[in-house]
Amino acid sequence: MSKNKHQYAFFLGCIAPNRYPGIEAAAIQTSKNVGIDLLPLKGASCCPAPGAFGSIDLNVWYAMAARNVVLAEQMGMDIALVCNGCYKSIWEVNHKLKHNDELRDGVNEVLKEIDMEFKGTADVWHLAELYYDPEIVGVKKLADSVKRPLTGAKVAVHYGCHLMKPSKERHFGDTENPMWMEELVAALGAEPVQYRNKMQCCGAGGGVRGYDITHALDITNEKLINMEEVGVDAVTEVCPFCQLQFDRGQIEIKEKFGVEHGIPVLHYNELLGLAQGMSPDDLALDLHAIDVEPFLKKIL
Amino acid sequence: MAVKKDYKDQKLSEKLRDRKYYIPDSNPEFIKDVEKIGQTAAHMCYQCGTCTGSCPSAPRSSYRIRLFMRKSILGLEEEILTDPDLWLCTTCYSCTDRCPRDLAPTDAIMAMRNLAFKRDIIPRNFLQTVQLIYKSGHGVPNNDANRAARKRLGLDEEPETTHKYPEYLPGIRKILDHYRLKENADRILAQGE
Repeated sequence: MSKNKHQYAFFLGCIAPNRYPGIEAAAIQTSKNVGIDLLPLKGASCCPAPGAFGSIDLNVWYAMAARNVVLAEQMGMDIALVCNGCYKSIWEVNHKLKHNDELRDGVNEVLKEIDMEFKGTADVWHLAELYYDPEIVGVKKLADSVKRPLTGAKVAVHYGCHLMKPSKERHFGDTENPMWMEELVAALGAEPVQYRNKMQCCGAGGGVRGYDITHALDITNEKLINMEEVGVDAVTEVCPFCQLQFDRGQIEIKEKFGVEHGIPVLHYNELLGLAQGMSPDDLALDLHAIDVEPFLKKIL
Repeated sequence: MAVKKDYKDQKLSEKLRDRKYYIPDSNPEFIKDVEKIGQTAAHMCYQCGTCTGSCPSAPRSSYRIRLFMRKSILGLEEEILTDPDLWLCTTCYSCTDRCPRDLAPTDAIMAMRNLAFKRDIIPRNFLQTVQLIYKSGHGVPNNDANRAARKRLGLDEEPETTHKYPEYLPGIRKILDHYRLKENADRILAQGE
């Protein structure tokens, strides 16, 4: 466990640093603004992708994820991260290895080959849960950090799957109709809106985006239609892979199905960055496939 | 397979027989493998269908998680491992969250995929991810456009991962080689070309 509850090793994953670097820049800056220091986790790799690696051989998934956890153990720090997929790998493998001696022994036998040992001394957190936790940040402190309230913007929340489910192993409570992320959105001055089947998957996970993209996009399209139905200015999430699926997915949906949505997609850290006064350039919002301009016009 | 009671009329008996229970190559060990790898008591499934009813893939394909659960209990290994629907689970865990038997059908599916891989049955995109990670440590690696964007943001062109510290790559490759994953990925992908 981190000795200092406001310092964490920042596990980046793949899609945030390598496709939406604005998420990485925003996470570091916005966290600092609410008193959380994110320090580099040197030499980390892909979490590795739970759908791809877990489907091939769960043992490799355990060992690869454990290596990333050990890097943080060696720093004497907990891990904070910004992606549900990474959370699934890093949090869940850490949890399993802490509670299953047989599994841990098997993984440590492999890690021994690279002079590493999983000790079980680190905890893993998603930044969103640290923001929500009143002992770390809390909604009030988050609201106090806002310099430019997102007044008038209607925002749909996409929770994604791998942060809260399977719920019996996790600690997030209700997964049928949670509201805590709506509270995080409301803290920024925006209006969180409810829409049909909000807990549905984005469609990308489990290797399905790579295996059958039309199938994956059909699921995405259904979610976007449901958001459109209630009229939203943007959708926010806490998973860069969901972001990729909604953002680039809208271009692919237009090509494949001839349907146009034009709903801007923003990671919660990007949204928080805008509310704390970061500029669209500070967040490289021009890298988004779907133009964020209409949303910016609403709030700037 | 022994049958305790049956019609003497063989034609009628044949007609009434639920072939699925009598397929001679049914493998009773299969469910045990699924349970061990998936760490869930899959044989407890009572086929209520909450899983399929919760599944985002079910309404748009012939993928039925309940069917996979049943077939695995019946030991229909061949049917399961060769079914292309096996790869349509997005692993959203809705079925697992709602299962009244407290099972994890998602993890049972993952176990069945692991067993398929042992027989070289696996879609190419999964193996391509292995190759990318072996090469760079990332499933989605950096590129020039992104490096330029990172620079603009005041970030280093390479993130603080294996990209910036490639000296960590040999360790990662050792782990993958321990399971002969890269070797198998290369071999299976080469077969498909």
